[in-house]
Amino acid sequence: MELFVERLLAGVTNGSIFALLALALVMVYRSTGTLNFAQGEFALFSAFFAWWLVGTGLPVWAAVIAGMLAGFLLCAAAERGLIRPVQKKSELATLIVALGLFSGLNAAVALIWGTDTKVMPSIVPNGLDDYFELFGARVYGDTVVTWVALAVVTLLMTVLFTKTELGLHMRAVADNAESAALTGVNTSRILMLGWGLAGAIGALAGSLATPLAPEQLSVTTMFPIFIGACAAALLGGLDSLAGAVIGGLIIGVVEAMVTGYVPLVGGAMQQTTAMVMIVLILVVRPNGLFGSKELERV
Amino acid sequence: MSALEISGLSAGYGAADVVRDISISVPAGEVVVVLGANGAGKTTTMRAICGLIDRRGSVRVDGVEIGTKPADVVRAGVSLVPQGRGTLGTLTVLDNLRVGAALRGDRAGIADDIERWTTVFPVLAERVDQRAGTLSGGEQQMLAVARALMARPRVLLCDEPSLGLAPRIVQHLFATLRDINREDSTSMLIVEQNAELAMDLASSVNLLEVGRMVRTGTPASFREDTELRRAYLGY
Amino acid sequence: MPTVTDRERTTEPRTERSPVLLAEGSRAYRIVALVIVGAITGLALIGTTLSVYRMSQVTAVMITAIAVVGLNLATGYTGLLSIGHSALFGVGAYATGILILDYAYSPLLTLPVATALGFAVGLIVGVPALRIRGLYFSLVTLALGIAFPEIIRRFDDFTGGAAGLLIRSQFLTPPSWTGLTRFERGLWLYGLSFVSLVVVMLLVRNLMRSRTGIAMRGVRDHEVAIRSNGVDVARTKVITFGLSGAITGYAGGLFAMNVGALSPDGGSFTLVKSIELITAMFIGGAGTLLGPLIGSTVTVFLPELTSTWTTGPISGVLFGVTLIVLVFFMPEGIAGRLQIVIRRFVRVVPSDHPVARRRASSTQNSGGKVTGEEPVAAGGAEHPPGPNSDDASSEGSSR
Repeated sequence: MELFVERLLAGVTNGSIFALLALALVMVYRSTGTLNFAQGEFALFSAFFAWWLVGTGLPVWAAVIAGMLAGFLLCAAAERGLIRPVQKKSELATLIVALGLFSGLNAAVALIWGTDTKVMPSIVPNGLDDYFELFGARVYGDTVVTWVALAVVTLLMTVLFTKTELGLHMRAVADNAESAALTGVNTSRILMLGWGLAGAIGALAGSLATPLAPEQLSVTTMFPIFIGACAAALLGGLDSLAGAVIGGLIIGVVEAMVTGYVPLVGGAMQQTTAMVMIVLILVVRPNGLFGSKELERV
Repeated sequence: MSALEISGLSAGYGAADVVRDISISVPAGEVVVVLGANGAGKTTTMRAICGLIDRRGSVRVDGVEIGTKPADVVRAGVSLVPQGRGTLGTLTVLDNLRVGAALRGDRAGIADDIERWTTVFPVLAERVDQRAGTLSGGEQQMLAVARALMARPRVLLCDEPSLGLAPRIVQHLFATLRDINREDSTSMLIVEQNAELAMDLASSVNLLEVGRMVRTGTPASFREDTELRRAYLGY
Repeated sequence: MPTVTDRERTTEPRTERSPVLLAEGSRAYRIVALVIVGAITGLALIGTTLSVYRMSQVTAVMITAIAVVGLNLATGYTGLLSIGHSALFGVGAYATGILILDYAYSPLLTLPVATALGFAVGLIVGVPALRIRGLYFSLVTLALGIAFPEIIRRFDDFTGGAAGLLIRSQFLTPPSWTGLTRFERGLWLYGLSFVSLVVVMLLVRNLMRSRTGIAMRGVRDHEVAIRSNGVDVARTKVITFGLSGAITGYAGGLFAMNVGALSPDGGSFTLVKSIELITAMFIGGAGTLLGPLIGSTVTVFLPELTSTWTTGPISGVLFGVTLIVLVFFMPEGIAGRLQIVIRRFVRVVPSDHPVARRRASSTQNSGGKVTGEEPVAAGGAEHPPGPNSDDASSEGSSR
């Protein structure tokens, strides 16, 4: 029972991180209809930036916020400068640019900060004794932080999209950019904003994930998370925010259970597990659980 | 002075111009119709006016040259009801109307206008919280008109509003457009392929053929021309 | 002659200078082809005089080029972006490695198995393409690319796991009929890779001229249109991916023979490899015959050149930046650009090309010597040299 609860909680925690990055993927998809292959690497860059700021003496929370700001600017600039000009050309061109960003950003992190493992401190006390028990399982501070972060971000996004005019305009652009433009909505600004917000949320995911990630902060930290987030976003339907959150939690828990209870898979094939789920979702239910738009199908 | 004065407008996709040297004048408070067959460049003209595609030439509202970005055009008082309605299908009817007021800041006025247009189009009142994508074609067309009117335009552009609608609904739509034209003295530029009903509203008619404006006249003069009548009015 | 020219002028689009037409099968065509073949053979022979180190680099270029030829089939010609070709490369490499070590196969005999396995895995990955496309299909290939190293690590009693497989050079001795000793393995693999590359390129060239090849390009450019033309799009995609996997798997087998050490972590079979292959394809020119070779040359030598001022991650940055810059400024790649330039001067046309035939018959009429089809000195082209960089009919000229 204890072991099960521990695995469940670990799954929920990983799932929260997946969900956060999945939210970023959904934001981008809703803006420009692209799956941003480089989303995890944007988050990686921002997280390293935050780590570096902590090293300069900034409090952790301030560094995380600064990292989010960096993620916002980086992603918004990428949309405006790199993605938008090639989107008209072809989907292939857009994918290639995203792949270029993926490779370039990852290597840039290694180039600037080195390939050795960093320790990103947690926002809250995170010592061996800083835990409380839940059904006999130990819950540590940074675990709670990820749950809270996911809850807060989900709440803020919900408010943004349902209560504000900006959110209304973002939904309008996601639905039909041309119709939105005809009413005077500044679609260009909305697209940059969508990517920017994705970058900021991704940066948060990156900064929070690293104290949890087994290898701490290194150039390979974000990729497995990106894969999980991809699976989560696809399961949720790729354009549904609620779907991303629920999808993230499901993927996190399923992954924890599969690696815990299926000996053939074990701990060595986490990414494969997530990828197999992606393929299954794509083949069996391409619209995910909550997707509203029909994916392009042959 | 004309509410909307288009002169020497050329536009197209890529290198080739689809329409060349188009001139249309919409006098204040009046309705002008542009007739043209499929592919004559009617939609291209409308899209060019609204800044959806690049254009050359002049577009003036009340004598003032307007910008080329879609938002500039709306700000200048020109709203388009696009061909195919451009409904925001995943948004509710109410949200569609709200988006129509994207450039307005007067909350009270927006609320008043939503109330007004849902009164003018009662079908929308019944479905305010429904997703717009679930509406019928006629209802979506009403919504598209109402959404464009939410910007309080001086000039309303309609691109083939009757397309794909049952005759009875088309009649109702044009009756409503005439009411709006009379009550608010909103000027209108209506593009149609089959335009008998639109001509009832119009003070002047322009004929577009293969990207060029070939004739301008009163509705009566068009009806008198047997050949034109056969080709565009269908009787 | 003048009458023909005049008649063509009227239909000729705005080209400043008409290219020389080179009809296939004509004497001039044969001469040009012979010169090119001679030059290539000459270059290959000169390569044998290189130092051991340089020769192994050239071998690496050729092996990478074969892998990229495979990728090019799926991505360049058919438009199915694969981020999983590293795994197909790995499948071939591990097939060769395991067969040599565990089953005492002679290296050369492992290559058909590597090819067949690559084909099979490619087919399996191609099946989802029946239902999904574009971005989503790329995700499926990504799944393959990510799963492969993990699978290798997981089934370590079979694959050597994270520790890797080491094939000692005594198992990689050149076959006795070559007359080469085990210390001349470099030369043997150089020759084998060269012949393989030439054969594979010829195969692809012929494939792209066949009905299947036309269907493949149709899938890329006008999927909906060609489906209504009766092309079985689904079948074309799956077969393309199978063939693509077969070629890349073959390259993997060669790689194992050349390197002799396989590991899931070294970057040879990970996503990094996929990105390297994609970069090579785009540098050289997606959907061109020569592109894979040119691109592989650049990607193998570029990191080496730049590593003199810095090491490691710079190649990742370079690949990333190169990809983006290419998409913006030279989407047709080096070979594609060369084709456009060369086509301004010379065009190779099929022997049934109407202009070439008209010219030939006019020669007949004016009492000229009938020689079949000779190059047309001032004949007009039906089309101006365009950016469709994959016109198979012109590929002979860019060689």
